[in-house]
Amino acid sequence: MGIREKGYYSWDGELKPSGIAWLPIFFKGIKSTFKKKFAKSLFAFAAMPFFVFLIAVYVSTKPELKMLTRLVSLLKDDAAFFHVFYTNGLISFIMLLLCVFIGAELISGDLKFNALPLYFSRPLDKTDYIFGKYSILLFYLLTFTLVPGILLVIFKVIFTGRLSLDLSLLLAIIFFPVFISLFLASLTLMISALSSNRKFVWISIFLIYIFSNALGEMLRSIFKDPHFMLFSIQTNIMQAGSFFFSTGARVSVAPWISVLILSILSLFMIVVLMKRIAKSEA
Amino acid sequence: MEKVIELNKISFSYADIKAIDDISIEVGTGVFGLLGPNGAGKTTLLKVILGFLTPQSGLGRVLGFDITSSRKAVRKRIWYMPETECLIPGIDAVTFTAYLGELSGMPRQEAIKRAHEVLYYVGLEESRYRNVETYSAGMQQRLKLAQALVHDPKLLLLDEPTSGMDPTGRKEMLGLIKDITRKGSMNIIISSHLLPDIEHTCEKVIILNKGTVISEELIANLSQDNFNLFELKFKGNSEGFLKRLKAIRCRVESSDRGKYMVMLPADHSPGVLFKIAREEKVQIRHFRQSRTSLEDTFMNAVEIANGN
Repeated sequence: MGIREKGYYSWDGELKPSGIAWLPIFFKGIKSTFKKKFAKSLFAFAAMPFFVFLIAVYVSTKPELKMLTRLVSLLKDDAAFFHVFYTNGLISFIMLLLCVFIGAELISGDLKFNALPLYFSRPLDKTDYIFGKYSILLFYLLTFTLVPGILLVIFKVIFTGRLSLDLSLLLAIIFFPVFISLFLASLTLMISALSSNRKFVWISIFLIYIFSNALGEMLRSIFKDPHFMLFSIQTNIMQAGSFFFSTGARVSVAPWISVLILSILSLFMIVVLMKRIAKSEA
Repeated sequence: MEKVIELNKISFSYADIKAIDDISIEVGTGVFGLLGPNGAGKTTLLKVILGFLTPQSGLGRVLGFDITSSRKAVRKRIWYMPETECLIPGIDAVTFTAYLGELSGMPRQEAIKRAHEVLYYVGLEESRYRNVETYSAGMQQRLKLAQALVHDPKLLLLDEPTSGMDPTGRKEMLGLIKDITRKGSMNIIISSHLLPDIEHTCEKVIILNKGTVISEELIANLSQDNFNLFELKFKGNSEGFLKRLKAIRCRVESSDRGKYMVMLPADHSPGVLFKIAREEKVQIRHFRQSRTSLEDTFMNAVEIANGN
């Protein structure tokens, strides 16, 4: 006999003991994103840099293709190779697209449909909620940066038959994409928490990224001082890459300054995000 | 009596505005109604119980857990059905209900199974695979009830549960609430401005006004013991007559076609109305005892609290 005919009956199961409260948010977010229109096309596009660089790894490890190695100096230097892999224009654009496509409505959608009371009347607090939302965006950002980076290392080992990378480079390959993804996820989620309008969030993310680059270039041209390039998000990401991979800086400013700037900005954005969610919780 | 909610001198202010002031209540098992005019502090009180707001003073326990230090434990055992429209976009009703069950700590498979059951129970079986954003206001109310029931909480806080529903839907929703209380072991607090909803579903009512509790009674007692309601029509010096009635704490409301509804305090016998009429040279031409509704009780309590 069904519940309708029988009337209400209690659920006699046991609730799980408190564990990682944000995991259901993560799993639901991953699934919903994958079901979105154009998701598969975007992910196929996002995987392109990996295949291009995979060919480069193959070329760099084959003596018979020495001519190509001579032509492309990048193929000789592993640190420069991975630095370029993580900071090239295409991968930056892909990361921005992922932030807009996945991250823009992660919080703004909940604000639009007033979903926060539903979350916070469950055994969740604002930290769990924010962790859950971060985990979704970080998952996809790292899938198209960290995972291909590690796969490239594995393929390099397979092609050469030995592990030629030193520990500091391996750590840089792991931690640089995490650092950049955290920054971009913080930026995206903060903007997403500021408005319930998805289009406003999309435009703001693009504008902030593009405007910061334009502003940096403009001020550097006017004042002839490379420090003004630190207004640019893209330059800071490249400079941070130089710091992590110990490669030459793109602009003549100490790379650690960019790491500091991105860290401070990330912290600031997390604080704004926490305050915004705390306000909505009440 | 098992105490479900114990609040002791709880106060909360939004900047300079005192939303709840020194509230002390004990709510036992069963179904309770929370009544009060707009701005009485009902929603703030619910938010304090849920731990959304931290009281500036006072202590509170819900199902034995402290409302400030054990928020997660409290939220695991209670569920709140907000008054406002609230949805998680982009998913169907089954996913929505199961997802909220999982967030409460239900194992995934059980949450999905139970989601189907409760959606069936609230009458959304045919539209359970539809995207929740396409639901009408009435369907959304049912959906909110379904997701509130999914993990079978010990305490259910319903804020305006029939808001936006048509008369049939409203009747069905009240029927569901009654059925849940009859068959389950759930305790329910219903905050509503629709007094018949409270009268229909609750055993006890707490009346709030200006952030304080002005009355806390069994519905049966409130309707019978405090005053008697009479329907009067009279001819003569109405001004003097009404003034004398007010002097003996009667609340008088003019009704249609020259009728007056007189709420006579329970410590006076109906004969006093005739005595005053005789003294004021007023002829009573129609006299009938009416059934006191909760609305009358509510209005009376609020007016007394306001000093009118």
